Amino acid sequence: MREATRKKWDLSASFYDLLAYGPERRWAAAKRALFANMEGRILFVAVGTGQDIRFFPPGRDIVGIDISPRMLAKARSRAAAYAGKLELRLMDVHSLEFPDYSFDQVVSSCTFCSVPDPVAGLKALRRVLKPGGMLYMFEHTGSRLFPFNLMLNLMTPIWKPIGPEMNRDTVANVRKAGFEIQQVNNIYLDVVKTIIATSPA
Amino acid sequence: MATAWLVTGIVDPAWPTPAGMLAGMLAAMGLSLLLMPVFVALFGAMEVMLPVMLTAMLAGMLLGMARAMTVFSTWEAMVAGGLIGTLTLLSTYALDASLRRRGL
Repeated sequence: MREATRKKWDLSASFYDLLAYGPERRWAAAKRALFANMEGRILFVAVGTGQDIRFFPPGRDIVGIDISPRMLAKARSRAAAYAGKLELRLMDVHSLEFPDYSFDQVVSSCTFCSVPDPVAGLKALRRVLKPGGMLYMFEHTGSRLFPFNLMLNLMTPIWKPIGPEMNRDTVANVRKAGFEIQQVNNIYLDVVKTIIATSPA
Repeated sequence: MATAWLVTGIVDPAWPTPAGMLAGMLAAMGLSLLLMPVFVALFGAMEVMLPVMLTAMLAGMLLGMARAMTVFSTWEAMVAGGLIGTLTLLSTYALDASLRRRGL
């Protein structure tokens, strides 16, 4: 497990819910719509403090992982309230402790802005995803548009020590990891997106 | 408007124009970064950060330049700052609507 990443998110756990109040409220409808696709055995990557659990459709079989013990401690009460099967596990996406082809779907929410090696993390997800399995992502990325790309490049060194990188090309990273992109929808500008991809059979 | 107030307090009409522009831009962007966590927590992440930073950059630069070239009141600067902010918000909103229709 990458110690620096764990420490960063342990530190953020104490104020994460406060800072996430506005974004979670604004993105609620888009997340609910994306998560409505959840079917089969699902791996939810970086469950954090469990803010997204309220958007999960009921009755699903979900394993939620996170690198931060303090984040997971906060998520436990939300997980207990979920009307379905939801197991939380401490795990680094770079070194998943699941056998190959364990999941029908993988879902992430604002995760691959922060994973230290996003392509390696996505390749690890492909390993545990069944052939033809679906990847659903709600992510913020860099922008192709000036001046938003400039703003995001300027903000990245400021935010990175306590949170995400603002200028990643996550769609390209998904392709590099070997997934086939099915759909990309812009939620805000070309910065906040939903990405739907499949693991090739 | 906060940007305009700050820039008129910092930049002196005796300054060279490029120095006024740079100082205005940096001061305004610094202020926006300080205020950002409050706005983000209340209203959303990217939907707040990008228009706020862009407004600060444009208003800081333009008002810093103008302040270094001529004398105007803090009130006049705040009206101009408010207009720049409103235009930036409207432009961003229009671009967002267009991009959401188009997808990738």
